Amino acid sequence: MTTNKSLFLIPKFITTPSQNGVGRYVCQLQRVVLKFCKNHGSSRGIREFIEYDLLNFANKNPEVVVYLKPRRHRGPVIKAEYLNGDDQIVFCHNNTREEIAKWLNLLRTQSGNHDGTRLRKLWHTDYPSIQGPWTPYTFRDPALNLAEFPNEELSRPLDQPKTATEELDELFKKQQESEVAESSEVK
Amino acid sequence: MSGLIRQFCNKLSSFTKCYSNVIARDNINIPSILSFHSRFYSNTPTLHEIVDPNKDKFITEEIIKNVNQQVSQGTQGRLFAVVHVAGKQFKVTEGDVLIIEGYWPPNVGDKISLDKVLLLGGSDFTLVGRPLIQNGLANVHATVIEKMLSHTKTHFRKKRRKQYKRINFYRIQQTMLRINKVEFVGQLNKPPDVSGLEYVIL
Repeated sequence: MTTNKSLFLIPKFITTPSQNGVGRYVCQLQRVVLKFCKNHGSSRGIREFIEYDLLNFANKNPEVVVYLKPRRHRGPVIKAEYLNGDDQIVFCHNNTREEIAKWLNLLRTQSGNHDGTRLRKLWHTDYPSIQGPWTPYTFRDPALNLAEFPNEELSRPLDQPKTATEELDELFKKQQESEVAESSEVK
Repeated sequence: MSGLIRQFCNKLSSFTKCYSNVIARDNINIPSILSFHSRFYSNTPTLHEIVDPNKDKFITEEIIKNVNQQVSQGTQGRLFAVVHVAGKQFKVTEGDVLIIEGYWPPNVGDKISLDKVLLLGGSDFTLVGRPLIQNGLANVHATVIEKMLSHTKTHFRKKRRKQYKRINFYRIQQTMLRINKVEFVGQLNKPPDVSGLEYVIL
């Protein structure tokens, strides 16, 4: 049976190998093998990289084992092996020295082979909520718990303007209140 | 013509009379009289409210005292913060992992402090910045644990019936951050005497 599974990216969430970075950071690249041809033109960039930059790379990253593997008349390849058992192969046909350096840097700073996957979220947390998740009842008046339905007040649309009668009523009430206040002042 | 002018003068005098009367009688009725020429501007008094500065002071002081007490006793529990990193805002707490997209200089293994804290909260209180909370009140420490590229994204454009079709592929740089610490340092409502000099090298 054939499937189309290889056509689609596998959706994944963020994973970090063994809580990396909680205490200190551990480089996840374990071993890197540079395979190249000593004669062929397509390996020229990788040969230049080996000649000029590889010692620096090895000195700066003592935790990474670097192997060189010359092979006659075959294309240049970088093979990276990670602490979690992943390996990744990068074909460097006709790449320049700078491009090799960039790919090697990418392999060094990765934690595994992410090919064929896509991230579903850019955020991972073990504590999704600290003040409690929102519900329709958060920040609502607790008096609503005792409301009885059908309720005319609560069933009214929120954006309904006041009727003229209601406004008049309010005015009248205000007037009465002010009169009461005035009379009390006089007393 | 002269008749017209006389009429106008009469009107004016009657208006001024009426106006002075009204002032003498009651201040409240002024707006309704003056609405005569309010087509161009309003003479109605601006609605205002006299705020008593001491009204909420007691409550505020009480709240600030409670927060400071919690922090000094270490009973505030787990804290979370909203931080602004590289143009995006993230809600973080200790142990979280974030991914920041786009070119971002920090390198793998770097320990950094996220200084733009928009909000700091615990289970019992929340400090909301306007827009940032006071510098030095919260510490958010993070470690860069991974720099990688996203999956290959496809940018496909096509216009119908116009013989136009373009396809581009691209990958975005991504930086993974581990949040090491979200903590409350210092005291609430005790701003430093001088601020803004934190990043100045003298």
